[in-house]
Amino acid sequence: MSYARMKFYCDEERCIECNGCSVACAEAHELPVGISRRKVVTLNDGIEGKEFSVSVACMHCTDAPCEQVCPVDCFYIREDGIVLHDKEICIGCGYCLYACPFGAPQFPKDGAFGTRGVMDKCTMCAGGPEETNSAKERELYGQDRIAEGKVPACAAMCSTKALIVGDEQEVSKIYRKRVMSRGKGVQSAPYGWSTAYGN
Amino acid sequence: MKKILMLCLGFFGLYAREIAGKVPLVSKDMAPHSGGDLLVSSQMIDNILHYQTWGELFVYLQVHWFRLLFFGITVGVLVVFLLHYLIIGPKKFAHSGKGIFVYSIFKRVVHWAAALAFVLVIPTGFMMIFGKELGGGDLVLTARYVHSIGTVLFIVSFIPMFLMWLIPMLPSFDDIKWFLMLGGYLTKKKVVVPAGQFNAGQKMWFWVAMLGGIVMIGSGAMMYFQDFHLSILDRFGLDQIDLIRVAAITHNFLGMAVAALFITHLYMSLFAIKGSLDSMIDGYKSEDEVRYMHSSFYKKLKKEDKI
Repeated sequence: MSYARMKFYCDEERCIECNGCSVACAEAHELPVGISRRKVVTLNDGIEGKEFSVSVACMHCTDAPCEQVCPVDCFYIREDGIVLHDKEICIGCGYCLYACPFGAPQFPKDGAFGTRGVMDKCTMCAGGPEETNSAKERELYGQDRIAEGKVPACAAMCSTKALIVGDEQEVSKIYRKRVMSRGKGVQSAPYGWSTAYGN
Repeated sequence: MKKILMLCLGFFGLYAREIAGKVPLVSKDMAPHSGGDLLVSSQMIDNILHYQTWGELFVYLQVHWFRLLFFGITVGVLVVFLLHYLIIGPKKFAHSGKGIFVYSIFKRVVHWAAALAFVLVIPTGFMMIFGKELGGGDLVLTARYVHSIGTVLFIVSFIPMFLMWLIPMLPSFDDIKWFLMLGGYLTKKKVVVPAGQFNAGQKMWFWVAMLGGIVMIGSGAMMYFQDFHLSILDRFGLDQIDLIRVAAITHNFLGMAVAALFITHLYMSLFAIKGSLDSMIDGYKSEDEVRYMHSSFYKKLKKEDKI
């Protein structure tokens, strides 16, 4: 059986920095305050013609560096490329954060005596290693929308469809179509893709 | 609750604008270099451009080298000492007589406080390095907490220990001679070893534990606190996340040296010189031991008519 290779793509020509994706994410997974699995960053703010925004979260990298450096091996990569981790194995050491090119890992202060607890990150709305759609999975990792055949919350609500997610073939198709219809300079790859997926 | 969440996210949006306002002009396929004034938990894209400098180095070392080196050094040191014990054997000194009073009660308390700190910190450090083999989870998570608690104890014992032994631990000409004959540990014969109150091996351990200890505390604190702001970074153009990466690399390499010397210290005091542990318990060192192992110190005491 062949699987999709799930990837995120944020179109900086379309992103209007509404922060809807990060709100949708926080609401969907009932994230604690201060934990931002997805964020919107605006660059060259206020400079005409140069300003743009992008939405960033875990890119679910190929050969994810977080998975490679984890001292307790709490990460696993699904057949469809989604990078997930087991919070009951994670020790919150922070190595995944040092290894991550996107600053995706988040650390809630819910450990012993309010210290840094175990890591939390974007699951591409695919939950975790617990039983699919169980109360425990929801409590630890948030919604498992992928299992229900739904689009991840962030992309689902994106009003301008700047943020899209899906099989790389489909995402690439949309990307090429958009670049062509704009009729101007072609980027080699979508923002962050060369770092996340190589080439 | 949700209102608070929305409000906070709103503030985060404002904060994101704040961040964005500070970054230099970039092209769309190039991530900007932040001024270093961002906290890791909220910084993101700023990482991408400079990831190749320290991020990739950290990944390379952690994936290929740290675990291997820790394993190799530990096993290597243990095997060397096992062979030493079997082939050359421990040194035995006469323990008759009152002995020479070398460690006051204050020094012994400070020593054992630091010793307890090391006993807490070093095994838990190894537990984290080899967390995979232990299956992670609560056991290794607890080890991480104990690692921090041990550090607090080390910080407390650090200053008195540094001050009380600073002078006798300063290098002397005896140290060169000591190194040339490797402290007399390679012969079964009782030889007169050139050393003052402390020999070159003890001095090496002292300086690695003290100066290395400061670096270990500093780099460990960076990893522990994670979200901190150092305005000095702006001046060097270093990202805060890169500083933590450097800290993690330093902590690992220095940890190897500290662990190796800690095992050495244990072997010397517990096995290599029979009864040498007594001096740290009651404060008295056997006169015979001092005569051979700390000959310069012995001569000095003789001259001062203290024996």
